[in-house]
Amino acid sequence: MDNGKERYVVTFQGALLAVNFLAVAFISIVIYSTSELIRSHYDARVFLDSVETIPVNPRKNLIICMVLMALLAVSFITRQMGRMLPGWWNIASLALDFGLCIAIIYCLDFNYNGLLLLVFAYTIAYSKDRKLRLLFVVMAISGYLVADYSVLSINMPLYNFSDYVHYYSSTTQQYLLSAYNIMNSLSIILFIVYCIYVINVQRGTIEEVNMLYREIQKANEQLQEYADMSERMAQTRERNRLAREIHDTLGHTLTGIAMGIDACLALIDSNPELTKAQLGKLSDVSREGIRDIRRSVNELRPDALERLSLEVAVRKMITDMSQMSDVQIFFETDEQCLKFDEDEENAIYRVIQESITNAVRHGEAKKIWISMKKEEGEICLVIRDNGKGCKDMKSGFGTKHIKERIEMLQGTVAFDGRNGFTVTARIPIRWGENYD
Amino acid sequence: MKKRYKGFLAGAILAAAALLLVLAVSSAGPREIVLEFGMFTGSNWEVANANSFVIIDEAIRRFEAEHPGVKIHYYSGVRKEDYSEWFSRKILSGEVPDVFMVLGTDFNQFTSLGIIKNLESLMARDQDFDSGKYFSSALAIGQYENTQYALPYETVPTLMFVNKTLLMKENIEIPDQDWSWDELYHICSRVTRDLNGDGLIDQFGIYNYDWTDAVYSNGVELFGEKGTESSFSNTEVADAVKFVCQLNELNQGQKVEQDDFNGGNVAFMPLTFAEYRTYKTYPYKIKRYANFQWDCITMPAGPQGGNSSRVGALLMGISANTKHEKLAWEFLKLLTYDEAIQTDIYRYSQGASVLKDVTQSEEMERIVQKDMEEGDTVISGNLLGRVIEEGHIEPQFKKYEQAMSLADSEIRSILENGKSIDSSLKILQRTVNDYLKQ
Repeated sequence: MDNGKERYVVTFQGALLAVNFLAVAFISIVIYSTSELIRSHYDARVFLDSVETIPVNPRKNLIICMVLMALLAVSFITRQMGRMLPGWWNIASLALDFGLCIAIIYCLDFNYNGLLLLVFAYTIAYSKDRKLRLLFVVMAISGYLVADYSVLSINMPLYNFSDYVHYYSSTTQQYLLSAYNIMNSLSIILFIVYCIYVINVQRGTIEEVNMLYREIQKANEQLQEYADMSERMAQTRERNRLAREIHDTLGHTLTGIAMGIDACLALIDSNPELTKAQLGKLSDVSREGIRDIRRSVNELRPDALERLSLEVAVRKMITDMSQMSDVQIFFETDEQCLKFDEDEENAIYRVIQESITNAVRHGEAKKIWISMKKEEGEICLVIRDNGKGCKDMKSGFGTKHIKERIEMLQGTVAFDGRNGFTVTARIPIRWGENYD
Repeated sequence: MKKRYKGFLAGAILAAAALLLVLAVSSAGPREIVLEFGMFTGSNWEVANANSFVIIDEAIRRFEAEHPGVKIHYYSGVRKEDYSEWFSRKILSGEVPDVFMVLGTDFNQFTSLGIIKNLESLMARDQDFDSGKYFSSALAIGQYENTQYALPYETVPTLMFVNKTLLMKENIEIPDQDWSWDELYHICSRVTRDLNGDGLIDQFGIYNYDWTDAVYSNGVELFGEKGTESSFSNTEVADAVKFVCQLNELNQGQKVEQDDFNGGNVAFMPLTFAEYRTYKTYPYKIKRYANFQWDCITMPAGPQGGNSSRVGALLMGISANTKHEKLAWEFLKLLTYDEAIQTDIYRYSQGASVLKDVTQSEEMERIVQKDMEEGDTVISGNLLGRVIEEGHIEPQFKKYEQAMSLADSEIRSILENGKSIDSSLKILQRTVNDYLKQ
C-alpha cells in the first residue's frame, strides 16, 4: 500500500471512530439527561413501571464511557505514530481496543454494538499476520452477532435506549430516534465503504505484483531469444569468414597448383627441363599455400592457445573460471609435455571449456575434476562434476559440439549423467607426425 | 531513537492520566463508612404514628456502637405517599440507599428491575440466622419468584372488629375463633333492622366487608404462581362474591356509612391490627368508637377455606449494588431479626412483630395492655400469631397491582349493578388473563 492509500484508510478509520464516539456519547448523554429530567419532573415511579431495568448509575456510566472512548482514541493515535513504536504495539493496542469496545458495549447494556465494527475495521487493515487477523475478525463478527440487544434482552435484563426516548413528546422522540438511527446507519455505511476500499486496495496490490511478474517473465523470454539469435549470428559470421578464408587462400593456391600441374602434364614430354622448373614453382606455391593456411588457422585459434602451451592454457582457463564463479576445478595430467597438433590442442581445449561451461550452467556443479592421460596411444580425457547431472540424456545441451569436435579427430566420446556428469573422450593422437 | 522514546513517553503519560481519572472517579468518597438507610416517616398502615423514628434511632444507636467507624445516615421527612417517587428518583440517579424500606406496591417492580439484592446466599451463610423464627406468611411477602429479596420488619394482619355492646343488646354471643360465613350471615340478618321506625334501616350487620375478604377466607388463590393466569371463574370465587352480594342484599339497597359504624350501629367491620392498636389506645380511642365496647376476632371461614385474612408486611431490603454488603446485612438483621428491636414495634409502632417468639410472648400482651383501659381485654398473642401465620398474602408478580385493580372495579360493578355473577366472572377471568399474558 502506498502512502496516499494508507492515508485514506487512516482517514476512514478516524471517521468511523468519530461516528462511534458520537453515538456512544449521544446514547449515554441522552440516558443521563433523561434520567435527570424524569427526576426533576417527579415522574420516576411511573417511568420505572415502563422499563425492564435501568443502568445502575447513569452519570458514572456516562463518565466511564467517555473515558473508555478517550482511551480508544489514544490507542488509535499511538498506532498512527506506528513507526516510532515497537511492532508488538499494533497487536497489543488492537487487543486493548477490543477489550475497550467490549467494556463500552457492556456499559451501554448492548444498546450500541457498532463499536465491534470499529475493531473489525482496524483488524483488517493493521494486522499483517493472517492467522491473527482471522482470529480478530472471527471474534469481532461473532461479537457483533451475539452482542445484539434484541437477542440478549430475551434472557437478560437490559436497559433499553428507546425506553428513555419514549419519555419525551412524540416530536422529540422522532428527533432523538432519527439521530440515533442516523448514527447507527452512518457507522454501518462507513464501515461497508471502508471494507470495500481496503479490499480493493489489497486486491489492487496483488494484481500489480502479478502484472509486474508477467512483464519480467516476458522480458526474460525475449532476452533468451536475443541470446540465441546472436549466437546463431556469430556462428554464421564465423562460417562466412572461414568460407572466405578457405576461398581466398586454399582455393586460390589449389587452383594455381591444379593449373600448374596441367601445364606440367602438357610440357613433361616435350620439355622436361621446363617442367622441372614449373614443378619447382608449384612446390613453392604449395608451401606458400600451407603457410597461408597455417596463418588462417592461427587466426582461428583461441587466444590462449596461440600464445601458450595447451597445459598452461587449460590451467589459465581453470583459474579464470574459478575466479569468475565459486566452482572448484581440479586438473591432473601425467603427460610431461602436452604438445599436440594445433587442431588436436584446439579440440581438447574446446571440449574442456565446453564441459566446464555445461557443468556450471546446467549441472550447477560446485566441483569439477579434469584428468588427461595417455592410454594405448590415445588421449583419455575425463571431465567429471558433482552437479545434478542429467537423468535423461538428450542431444543438444552443449554435448553436440563436443561430439562433433571429437569425431573430427576420429575419436570417441561418451556421456554419463547418472552421478554428476561425466564426459569421457578418447582421441587418437598423431604422435610425431609433422607437416613441416 | 529519540522520536521513538517520545512516542513511548506520550503514550505512557496519556495512559497514566486516564488511569488516574478512572481511579479518581471510582474512589471519590470519605474514609468513614456511611451506610445509607431509606425510610419514610409515619405509619405504613394508614394510621397516625408519632413515634416512627424511635425504633430506627435505637437500632442505629446500637448498630453504631457495635460497629465503630460506621455511620448510618437516613433521610428524614419523606412521607409514605412520597416515598415511592423519592425512592424511584434515587434509583434513577444510581443513589439507592444500602438498606431501605420497600412498599408492598413497589416490591415486585423494584425486584424485577434488579435493584433489590437477592438475600438467599446471605441468609445461608449467616450461622446465627434462622428464617424459621419469622412467621412464614410474613417471610413469604418478601419473596419474588420463590427467592427471598426482602425481610419483613413489621406485619399487620386483618381482624374482624366486633361491636360487643350491640351484640349484647341483641342477646347474641360473640362468635368464637372458628366461626363461619353462615354464622356471620345469621347474625347480620338478625341485627339488620329499623330501630326508630322511620322505614329506613338504621342498624346494620357489617360494614366494609370486601369481596377479597370473602375470597381469602374461602381457600382459593386468585392467580397462578407465576402470575400468568387467574382463576376468577372458580366456584370458590363465585361463592365468595355471591356471599358478599347476599350480605349487601340484607341492607335492601341502603348504603352503610362510616358514621353508622362510628355511632355504634354496625355489628362487624374488618379492620387491620394497626387500626386496632391505634383506636384501642389513648388518645385516638376518644376520637372514634367511644360510646361502645368492642373487640377483635378472626375473620369468618368460608365453606372451602379457613379463618384467614389478608396479612401485610412492611419489607426491608438491601441494595443490589451496595458496597457494604456485610454491614447492610447486619443492619437489616438488627431491624428485622433482633428480639429487642422487634419488641419495640409493640411499644412504638402499630404493627405486629414478624418474629413468632416476640408476638406470642407475655411481654407483648403486657405492652399492649399498658395503653388500654383497665376493662379492655387484650387480643391474645396466640390468636394474633394464628391470624398472622394463617394469613393470606398477596402474590408477588409484576402485574399484580394492575390486575387486581382491574378485577376489583369489575367485581364492584357486578355487585352494584346486579349482573349475573357466574358469567361475568368468566368474562373477567378472560380479560384479566389477556392482560397478564401481554
